[in-house]
Amino acid sequence: MKPANRIMKRVLRDGTAAIAAMIIAGASLGYAQENVSVRATLLTGGVPVDDPGAAVWSSAPPATFPMSPQVHWQNRIQEVTVKDVIVRALHDGTQVAVLVEYTDPTQDPDDAAALEFMVGDKKAHFAHGQPMLQVEGGPVNIWFWKNKTGKALDMSAKGFGTLKPQEHQDVTAKGVYSNGTWKVVFARKLLTGHADEDVQITAGQFMSISFAVWDGRKDAVGELVEKGSQKAVSSWWYFRADAPPDYSGYMYAAIAAVLGLGFQFVLIRKLKKGQ
Amino acid sequence: MGALGKPIILMVAMYAFLKFVLPNIPGSAPLPSSLIFLYLLLTAGGIFMFETVSGESKDAFWNPIQRFLTGENIGGLQALRYGVFILFPLLVGWQTYGSTAVSDLPPTESRTIHPAPPGEYTGLSNPVPKTPDNIMQGKGFYAAYCSPCHGGNFDGKGPAARGFIPAPANFADPTTIAMLQESYLFWRIKKGGVGLPIEGAPWKSAMPRWEVELPDEWIWKIILGEYDGAHQSPRTWE
Ligand code: HEC
Repeated sequence: MKPANRIMKRVLRDGTAAIAAMIIAGASLGYAQENVSVRATLLTGGVPVDDPGAAVWSSAPPATFPMSPQVHWQNRIQEVTVKDVIVRALHDGTQVAVLVEYTDPTQDPDDAAALEFMVGDKKAHFAHGQPMLQVEGGPVNIWFWKNKTGKALDMSAKGFGTLKPQEHQDVTAKGVYSNGTWKVVFARKLLTGHADEDVQITAGQFMSISFAVWDGRKDAVGELVEKGSQKAVSSWWYFRADAPPDYSGYMYAAIAAVLGLGFQFVLIRKLKKGQ
Repeated sequence: MGALGKPIILMVAMYAFLKFVLPNIPGSAPLPSSLIFLYLLLTAGGIFMFETVSGESKDAFWNPIQRFLTGENIGGLQALRYGVFILFPLLVGWQTYGSTAVSDLPPTESRTIHPAPPGEYTGLSNPVPKTPDNIMQGKGFYAAYCSPCHGGNFDGKGPAARGFIPAPANFADPTTIAMLQESYLFWRIKKGGVGLPIEGAPWKSAMPRWEVELPDEWIWKIILGEYDGAHQSPRTWE
């Protein structure tokens, strides 16, 4: 074999290896990060805003989030009933519904659950948007449901002791208890007119969400065990409403491939002519 | 192999560096594949320019490539030549798809675990003498205030730890308090998660701001108890 041929074999072998490595690099990126977020699945037709048992919930992927007793600030609690929440979400481009599910051995009037969102572009501390010392934070929007009242409160906070119901109540909630499990649906329009106090949900964008749960059981002397800041809390997690499917990427890829093909033809023709 | 071997080795080395070495340098993160691709293209461009400056090396570099592309006298390599012609447009298409597709993953977050403390918290020394009595008191405070998160065994596995991300620090791990000075701990305990600068992602930390509940003297005692209990010693001025 001529030396030139050997060189070309080499080029090819190494080149293929380099290309293979590039493909692996691209593919492995997909596994690089644990993917824990709430995904609101897009559906056509109405969102089950007041039906935690609707069949359509099975089309939303469940995500499980660990809860801690709130020991971050006073008043603390060292042990809580709820250890995890399972969360699903659906939206139809106008309305969004979030289903929170957790086990609780007893149904009590003071059983309650809440969602918390960051509002606006500034980060907010997960504990009620309490002030940070070196970073300017934003407010949080809290959607609160209590069994006793059977409805939702749409609230705002920016720091401890600032939690208050909003003037505009945009959230609904409905809880159903059965077989030791609470299923609570919170619902709202994706967008409200009050971007300074309400989270605005734009399809395709990640936003921050966290959870809180109160088991309304009472102790031996009839006092509530979990109340106010004494509750189960989660960290910040991500929430995203799915964007409508977008196939433009395939189109751009096809155009690029055709251009690549054209480039090859032109190049080889030129080379052949030049000889 | 001559003029072609080196460039190929260089490209592979560059790739390995971008993919495997760079992400492990403290403070950096894995590069997106589109960026790796761009850097490799730049490297290839650089090599090409370098190789084509002088006339002779240009020929040694170009001739085999040219012969391969035009398919003259390459015998058994013909099939591979067609393979390359099929693969190249596919690769271009795939790269384009990858760079336009919207990611399904949440934004990547890099959090600096030990950001620089504010100036007034550097170089402070513990005013509380390291006596068995003070250590014992510190451990008592630790059990009351810190163990729910950081654990009775100083391992970060307290009963309240499970829901908090980032997780409460594991003091028995050599990469936490063992590489920090007492002064740094004093800052972290006093100001908590909310005292972190932006690179420490203060909005996510559950570490309480203890200055609102505990006097400084207790904090210094807790530091003594913490090191003793975790079997670590503070980093000192070398
Ligand atoms: C509510 C849970 C919680 C409690 C209670 C708590 N911590 Fe923390 N602590 C954390 C978390 C979470 C981190 C990691 C995030 C960070 O660095 O802010 C942390 C980090 C730290 C660090 C930084 C370690 C490092 O390597 O940077 C120190 C020191 C510390 N805690 C000391 C204490 C002491 C002392 C107490 C008790 C007085 C205490 N913590 C109580 C949650 C807690």
